[in-house]
Amino acid sequence: MKRKPKIAFFSLTSCEGCQFVLIDLGEKFFNLLKKVKLIDFSLIEEIPFPKGKVKIDVSFVEGLPIKKEEVRLLKKIRKESKILVAIGNCAALGGIPEMKNYQGKERTIRYIYKRLDGILNPEIKEIDNFVKVDFVISGCPINGEEFLKFAKDLIKGKIPKISQKPICSECPHQGKKTCFLKKREPCLGPITLRGCGAVCPKNSQLCYGCRGILKGINPKGFLETLKKFKKPEEIEDNLEIFGIKDNIEKLKAL
Amino acid sequence: MKIIIPHIHKIEGDAGFWARLTRKGEVKDLEFQTLLGLRQIEGILIGRRYFEVPIIVSRICGICPVPHILAACTALEKALNIKVSEQTILLRKLLLAANIIYSHTLHLFFLSLPDFFDIESDLEFLKKFKKESKAALGIRKFSEEILEIVGGRTVHPITPIIGGFAKLPEKENLRKALEKISKAIENAIFLIDTFKKINYPDFKKKTLFVSIFNGRDYPFYLEKIVKIGKEKFTVGDFYSTKIEEDLKNPPVKRVKFKGKAYMLGAIARLKNNEEFLKESAKEKLEEFRKENKIPIKEFFKNTYFNLFSQAIEVLHFLEISKDLIEEIIKTPLKEEKIEIKFKPSSGLSALEAPRGTLFHYYEIDKDGRISNCNIITPTAQFLHNLEEDLKVLLPKILKLKKKDQIRKIRSLIRVYDPCISCAIH
Repeated sequence: MKRKPKIAFFSLTSCEGCQFVLIDLGEKFFNLLKKVKLIDFSLIEEIPFPKGKVKIDVSFVEGLPIKKEEVRLLKKIRKESKILVAIGNCAALGGIPEMKNYQGKERTIRYIYKRLDGILNPEIKEIDNFVKVDFVISGCPINGEEFLKFAKDLIKGKIPKISQKPICSECPHQGKKTCFLKKREPCLGPITLRGCGAVCPKNSQLCYGCRGILKGINPKGFLETLKKFKKPEEIEDNLEIFGIKDNIEKLKAL
Repeated sequence: MKIIIPHIHKIEGDAGFWARLTRKGEVKDLEFQTLLGLRQIEGILIGRRYFEVPIIVSRICGICPVPHILAACTALEKALNIKVSEQTILLRKLLLAANIIYSHTLHLFFLSLPDFFDIESDLEFLKKFKKESKAALGIRKFSEEILEIVGGRTVHPITPIIGGFAKLPEKENLRKALEKISKAIENAIFLIDTFKKINYPDFKKKTLFVSIFNGRDYPFYLEKIVKIGKEKFTVGDFYSTKIEEDLKNPPVKRVKFKGKAYMLGAIARLKNNEEFLKESAKEKLEEFRKENKIPIKEFFKNTYFNLFSQAIEVLHFLEISKDLIEEIIKTPLKEEKIEIKFKPSSGLSALEAPRGTLFHYYEIDKDGRISNCNIITPTAQFLHNLEEDLKVLLPKILKLKKKDQIRKIRSLIRVYDPCISCAIH
C-alpha cells in the first residue's frame, strides 16, 4: 500500500474562521482526511503535536504569531514540513489585527488596558516574516471549494499554479451599470486575486482586497483613479482593513 | 501536588490548565489560562469609520460572527438614532438563530460528546457513531444554508450592515430551506435523545444565571432587560454599575457581578426563560428531567447539563427559524434606503450569542468615526464561574489516574464551550 501523506493544520492567533470553513465542508473535508495521515488538527483531536521529529508533507497554518510560543511553534512547523501553506488573510497578509501597525505602538492598547507592563504588544507580521511560505490560500475567510481544489495537488507534493486574474472576472456586476466602479464606489476588485466567486460584490459589498493584490501588477494608477471617487484618506483606510496597505507600499517603492 | 494541562484541544482557540493542591487535596491555586495573542480589536476600532465596525468585529470569532455583527449594528443604530424595519428585525433574528444552531451543533457533537465515550479524535468518533454524525452534520448543513441565504456567507456573513441589509435574500431560496426544516427538526430530536442517554457526572454547585429577558418569549435578539438570579436590571445599569471588568490582568478582561462569578449560555437562558421555550423543546426538557428524576433545582446546579440545554436550544431555534421563515416569505421583501446623520453620540446593546449575553458599546464622533468602544464577550464573563466549578471538581477526581484526571478536567472545561478567540479579542 502506498504511504498516506502526512498533513497537519495549525491555528495561531486568529478568529479560527478558516478552520470552520473546512469543518463546514462536512463530508467533503472528512473524505479528504481519510486519504491522509492527520498529524495535528487541535479543533478535532486531542493528540498533542509531537515534540520530536514528525516529517509532515503539508502543513496548513492559519492566523498570526503574536506570542513567543507561537513564533517557536511556527518555526518548528517549518522545520518539520516539506510544504508550508499559509491559509487565510491573517497568515498571508496580516489581516484585521495588522491595522494596529498604522495606529502607533502604544495608542491602540491603551484604549483597552490600564496596566501595560508584561503585556505582549509586538508589531503584527505575516508568517512569511518568520518562515518560508511555499503556498498561500488567501481570503477572509478562505473559500472551502478552492481549498479542496488546491489541497488535492498539495497533498501529492505539487504546488498549484494560480492564474493571476482579478475578482472582476468572476463578478456578476462586471460591465454592468451595477458595477461599483461605475457608481464611483472604490471597489478593489480589479487589483485583487479572484477565487472567492466575488462573494462580497455579489452581496452588494465592496471588495476590500482580503485575497491580496494580483502578482505582477502595479496598482498605483488604479488607486489614483479611486482617489478621484473618494478622499485619499478613505482609500488608505480601505487598504488597511485587510492588511494590504503595507504590501502596496512595498510595490510603490519598487 | 500539581496538575498541569499545557494545551487543551477541541475548544475554540488555545487554553491551558494549572492547579496546585495540598497533600490533603485542598485546592490552593487554580487557573484556566487563555493562550492566544491579543489582537486589540477594541483599540483598532478607535478612529475607524462606522460602517467598518461590523466587518471588523465579525473577525473576533469565526464560530459566532453573527452576534458580534448584530451587536455592533444595533449599538451603532442606537447611537445614530436609526430605527430599523420589521423586515430587518425578522431577517436578523433568523441569522442569529441559525448561528446559535451552527455553533451549538459543532460544540455538542465535535467538541464535547466524544468526551463521554473517551474518544480523543473526531475522525474515530465519526466512524463509530455514523447515525449521530449524519444527524449532527445534517443540522449544521441546514444552519449553514440559512447563514448563506440571508448573510451571503457562512463564516463572516457579508449582507448585514448598519440600518439593515446590503442585499436581501432570494425568497425562493428561503422557501426551499423551509422544505428541509422538518428533516432538521427530526435530526434535532434524535440529537436530544443521544444527549439524553449520556452519563452526566454528578455535580452540584449553586451559581447565578445571566441572560437577557423580556417576560414574553425566549429572548435572543436585542432586549432592554438583563436577568441575573432573581434580579432584573436595565442593560445600561447592568453594564455600567453591576458588573466590573478586570482591566489590570491581561489578556482577558474577566468580569464579575458585584464581586461574584456567574454563568451564561444555554443553561442560563433556560434557567431564566424556560417557560418561553417552543412547546416541543419544553416537552423534551421536561421528559428528560422526569425520566431521570431530576428536580428542576438540581438540574440547574449541574453545569454538565449545559450540554443538554444546548441540545434543547437547537430544537427550539429550529422551530423559531421555521416561524421566522414563514413570516418573512408571507410578504414581498422591500429594498430600504437608510439615511445616516452623524452627531457625537453613544450606543450600547446586549443580545444572546451562543455562549451567552454579549455587550457592545460604541461612541461615535461628528464625522461617523468611532471614538470609544468596549466589547464584553460571554467567555470573558464565565471564566470565573468555570474556575469555581473546577475547584468543586478537583477534590472528587484526586483518586483517579493522572490521565483520567486530565480527561475529567478537559471535559468540564469543554462543557462551557469556551471561545478563547472571543475572550481575547
